[in-house]
Amino acid sequence: MNYRELSIDELHELLVSKKVTPLDLAKEAIALAKADTNNAFEYIMEKEALEAAEALGEPEANNPLWGIPFVIKDNFSTKGVPTTGSSNILKGYVPVFDATVVEKLKAAKAIAIGKTTLDELAMGGSGITGHLGRTYNPWDRSHSRIVGGSSCGSAAATSDGFVPFALGSDTGDSTRKPASHAGLIGFKPTWSRISRFGLFPFAPSLDTVGIFSRNVKDCAYVLNALAGRDEKDSTSSTKPVEDYAKDIEKENKNYKIAVIKEIEDSISNNVVKDAFKKSVEDLKKAGYQVDYVHVSNELLLTLFPTYFVISCAEATSNNANMDGIKFGPLSEGKTFEEVMLNARTKGFGELIKRRFVIGSFALMKENQNELFVRAQKNRRRIVDAINDILREYNFIYLPAAPGIAPKFDDASDKLSDEYLIADNHLCIANFAGLPSLTLPIGFEDGMPFGANITGRAFEDKDVLKISYEIEKLTGLKNLVAKGGQK
Amino acid sequence: MKTYNIDVLKDAANRLLFDMSEAEYKTLLNEFDIVVKQMKLIGDNKGLDAYEPMVFPFECTTDYLREDEPGEPLSREEALRNSPRKAGGQIKLPRVVQ
Repeated sequence: MNYRELSIDELHELLVSKKVTPLDLAKEAIALAKADTNNAFEYIMEKEALEAAEALGEPEANNPLWGIPFVIKDNFSTKGVPTTGSSNILKGYVPVFDATVVEKLKAAKAIAIGKTTLDELAMGGSGITGHLGRTYNPWDRSHSRIVGGSSCGSAAATSDGFVPFALGSDTGDSTRKPASHAGLIGFKPTWSRISRFGLFPFAPSLDTVGIFSRNVKDCAYVLNALAGRDEKDSTSSTKPVEDYAKDIEKENKNYKIAVIKEIEDSISNNVVKDAFKKSVEDLKKAGYQVDYVHVSNELLLTLFPTYFVISCAEATSNNANMDGIKFGPLSEGKTFEEVMLNARTKGFGELIKRRFVIGSFALMKENQNELFVRAQKNRRRIVDAINDILREYNFIYLPAAPGIAPKFDDASDKLSDEYLIADNHLCIANFAGLPSLTLPIGFEDGMPFGANITGRAFEDKDVLKISYEIEKLTGLKNLVAKGGQK
Repeated sequence: MKTYNIDVLKDAANRLLFDMSEAEYKTLLNEFDIVVKQMKLIGDNKGLDAYEPMVFPFECTTDYLREDEPGEPLSREEALRNSPRKAGGQIKLPRVVQ
């Protein structure tokens, strides 16, 4: 049987009625992963997955994740399973502990099938900088388009239907942008809502665990399993968690939605713009208040440089432990400094080395005020403007990206308004720590594109509920890539 | 702000204990030009200094200590497993005293 297009609810029903076993699902997912042509995997956990699936006892009717296969971005520690961050500096590294989210999914009896590729150490947005090379978009079988990053392998495996959900991470848009390119749900919860213990840090003031799924309710099930305080992560929130899936279908017509006009205007692709405008009209027709609001272009143009300086500076200090001594491939040297220099020179790719230097320069005493501190002040200016909107509105609704997944050789003008605003506005939710979800709203040339809904901090359930409404209106759910659908 | 050129960038990279090729340093220099220009534009905003630097999205503090609970430490084998160079049950490094 083919389980690729089924939701968690549908798989759960089959499992509970014993029409299928966890072992059947694990075997199929592993066979698909082995036949993957998109370079989605760092490691396929065949032995581990089959053992875990075989060890499950009777089906648990009240546990929707029981026996459900999933994949893990390779920047989460997995005990006894190689974890590379898609970087040569961690080649061969086998952690001695599980990340808390991995532990929680194991406790929920979901079955991990494999570790997925990413932009090296999650620093990138294209899915091309990992040590295994390009990860391809499953919607384009000619392999000419990116799936986006940094969570490229998790996005590819989920959109190809190997698994119904996946773990990603999101520092600037690393779950939500690939979701747009791959026809998926991509969710970044409120900062601190999910423990980050065991997630390789990139920029801790921005990092969150991310969830990919193919429909909104599945995403809520996964959040139920992951949310909550963790004593191993002192930045995890003590606020009580909710049942995020319960009553998700119950409408709340009191929700007020804002669209930032200047971000919509920065997009030149009319197919994306028209689909988004139609989605706004559909929400209005369904009885929701949707208003256009304004944020100055002058402020929006500062999103990317602010993100770039803060993330590079935080990343620089977080990766100092990668020295080729405690772990990583063997490097020669007459002194321990030489060993480290050789290990890091060979181990890190070009892009992240450049980012480390920029970050280090921004942190130097003589530069700090004009770079790092200035970016931190501007971050507050941006967050204040966004929170002003969210005082009056429950959500901000926007196109998630300026178009469909770009081709590998498309060079965007990094200084254009479209790049600086439309291609980078998702980092607003990271600056402010807000819950933010991307979902599909249309197709162009057989390739999907998405919209994004961002809500108030800790109102993750409301974001999921309004997303469920939008999903109902678009009818786009449980999409599986078929190599370019019309 | 410190003036930057390829030598300054090489020094910064070496302080981070890695090196890059000449072509990579040139790409980096171009990136610096863009970032510094954009950050100067941000600095031109007269009201910016009125904002407090934002370090985290919101307050999320832990102001208590965990209970001390005895646990199993890593075994020596586990602790050494990932090191590429070991000898006599320890991580091996080049001689420090020559």
